[in-house]
Amino acid sequence: MTTLATTEPAAPAAVKIVSGRTIGVGVLALVFAGLSLWMGLKVASGAQAVFKTYMIGEDVELDVPAKPVILVMAVLCLAVGALLLSDRTAKYFAMGASVAVIAFAIAFVCWSIAKPGVFLPVTATLNGALFLALPLILGSLCGVLCERSGVVNVAIEGQFLVGAFAGALIGTISASAWAGLIAGAAAGCLIGLLLAVLAIRYLVDQVVLGVVLNLLALGLTSFLYERIMQRAAEQFNSPPKLGNWTIPGLSKIPVIGPALFDQNIFTYIAVALVIIVYVGLFHTRWGLRTRAVGEHPAAADSVGIRVNWVRFRNVLMGGLVAGVGGAFFTIGSAIAFNKNMTVGKGFIALAVLIVGRWNPLGALAGALLFGFTDQLQIFLSSMPGGSPIPSQFLSMLPYVVTIFAVAGLVGKVRAPAADGVPYVKS
Amino acid sequence: MRPAMKFTAAALAGGLVLGLSACGKPPADDKAGDSGAKFNACMVTDLGGVDDKSFNTSAWKGMQEAAKKDTGINATYAQSNTEADYEPNLQNAVDNNCSLIVAVGGLMADATKKLATAHPDKQFAIVDAKIDLPNVRSMEFNTAQNSFMAGYLAAATSKTGKVATYGGLKIPPVTIFMDGFAEGVKYFNEKKGKKVELLGWDEAKQEGTFAESFIDQQKGKALTETFVSQGADVVFPVAGGTGVGSTTVAKEKPEVSVVWVDVDGCQSLATACDTFLSTAEKNIPAAVTDAVIAAKGGAKGGATVGTLENKGVSLAPFQKKDALVTAETKAELEQIKTDIIAGTIKIQSPSQPKVS
Repeated sequence: MTTLATTEPAAPAAVKIVSGRTIGVGVLALVFAGLSLWMGLKVASGAQAVFKTYMIGEDVELDVPAKPVILVMAVLCLAVGALLLSDRTAKYFAMGASVAVIAFAIAFVCWSIAKPGVFLPVTATLNGALFLALPLILGSLCGVLCERSGVVNVAIEGQFLVGAFAGALIGTISASAWAGLIAGAAAGCLIGLLLAVLAIRYLVDQVVLGVVLNLLALGLTSFLYERIMQRAAEQFNSPPKLGNWTIPGLSKIPVIGPALFDQNIFTYIAVALVIIVYVGLFHTRWGLRTRAVGEHPAAADSVGIRVNWVRFRNVLMGGLVAGVGGAFFTIGSAIAFNKNMTVGKGFIALAVLIVGRWNPLGALAGALLFGFTDQLQIFLSSMPGGSPIPSQFLSMLPYVVTIFAVAGLVGKVRAPAADGVPYVKS
Repeated sequence: MRPAMKFTAAALAGGLVLGLSACGKPPADDKAGDSGAKFNACMVTDLGGVDDKSFNTSAWKGMQEAAKKDTGINATYAQSNTEADYEPNLQNAVDNNCSLIVAVGGLMADATKKLATAHPDKQFAIVDAKIDLPNVRSMEFNTAQNSFMAGYLAAATSKTGKVATYGGLKIPPVTIFMDGFAEGVKYFNEKKGKKVELLGWDEAKQEGTFAESFIDQQKGKALTETFVSQGADVVFPVAGGTGVGSTTVAKEKPEVSVVWVDVDGCQSLATACDTFLSTAEKNIPAAVTDAVIAAKGGAKGGATVGTLENKGVSLAPFQKKDALVTAETKAELEQIKTDIIAGTIKIQSPSQPKVS
């Protein structure tokens, strides 16, 4: 009786929030189940899916019987689908969605690699995913800093580009990767300054402004590249690499150790920044003010917060972070600068920001998701015998996953209420 | 508001001007002031631009060479930053009184064909495509031949028994290299009874690994790391500037070698010379120089195919990795070259240009 009494009042309240999203993901889980079942039936019954950590020194191999694993994953997807469709409240949504996606991913990978002579190098895959995700993490963090305070920053791409340029130039001249890093951050900050002055002081439309700043960055770096770097690459465009930092002890953990604790210094900077921004945003006075200014600047103003000053400062900080992300393109792996070398990563960072719901941790997760799918498609196309899926479709994978994540899993996202709206004291 | 708007407008204009100036033409070597009487040879680059260390670089080298040989020639270029730039750039060249318009890259074939048809009085030349028009000179290269040698070389020098290739885009001028490379590896296996595995390209299925970019060095690095993690120790990137990413991997891991394409890596990317095993060279500069000088002499149209025989394609010297290549392999490579020229080795690649 007591249990009934407690569940009864909860039920009607839950019924009210039947969500279309849950139904959608429920159906999707069933589709996943069907696909996994098909893959499970198609794969040869004795086939092994081989996972290897292919690192110098130690080779750990894990053989998984492909067929049973895929079929178990199919059952898992089926269960999630049934659960989400029978109980259409949002209660099981998050858990159900993640279980279905992960189960399908496992089934898909096992199916793809269940061929003789093929193995998945686990550590290298994780490393590659992180490498591809890194600029996205820093770029979307820049977005978080700017947009949480109410300034739309479309110029992340431009900030990447100037960061990469300054990193390569100063890094080469001074023969110090650290100097390059600082220069990259400063250059990103400079674009941030332009954005801040024009958007906050002169109330220019922020999206248009961002696009123009991207063009400015592209034009300026291409021009300087031709004038300075192209003529004497040795002197001005052979950046050093900001080395790896191996954490003693932890890096010896098999599989994840080298991926997490034997990394480029940029990785540690990015992780530290995610934590700092997260804690700062939700647990400090600065964060509260930032969010207040981004949601309701008039209210913030009325309690004495200098709205435009807070925004100004945040945009500059965002510029520093994006500049570091830009420097990663060159001094992250000793790659020489080239025109437009950031190839639109800044725009993907913007998408990651939305996938991550303007939250630093979400941005981290979104960037890793993108990096992982990108690395996975690279691997699938490169393995012996190739993938059964045409390369053009494989190349779409990261983008499809991102769109799916924005539209399906993340659901309705809400930007800060005053995002992109200049504040004018009335 | 008013002054603010003005300020913005000025800033916008400034940005655009800077943006445009970067893709404009650099001053060509103006020796005298008589550019009006000069023969204007205008080149339109593909996406990588003249410093892609690859085919745009070499085409531009050919242009400059022609201008050096004949001071009556004025060489300029316009860079295409996106595919949407091809047609406007070519149109610009037509409008700017160019005597010869050189389009670099097979991707530009459609745009070139359109403009050449619309302006039958103008002279065009195109690299890596064949256009059957009386006013277009087509320059093609059978790079399957030297890539065959590169594939044999890679298979012979690989210590792990795995070699890899990847392309920039899945288009015939790229996949022809990958086809030749695959056939070279296969030939090595047949000859030596070995099982060297090729990652990244399946000639029969015409499927493989592509960076989907000719400038994304990070992608090139990620792709190469993925190959190396699967055990490959020779990588053949056919992806212009994207391939620079492969050299950064090879710099960190000395056991990995890179086979470059188009222009000898030790010249075009001297800082990474240590990493190159060889280069499947495409003698674009000579072809372009010839085309420009011939056009000035009044020649129209025509088609050339560069082969091992006419030295339009070749395998570059082994440079710093010479020690890795045994004398036996060197002799075998010479034999293969002779056999390809004689036709005793038949290359199957469907992307090979038809000799007319």
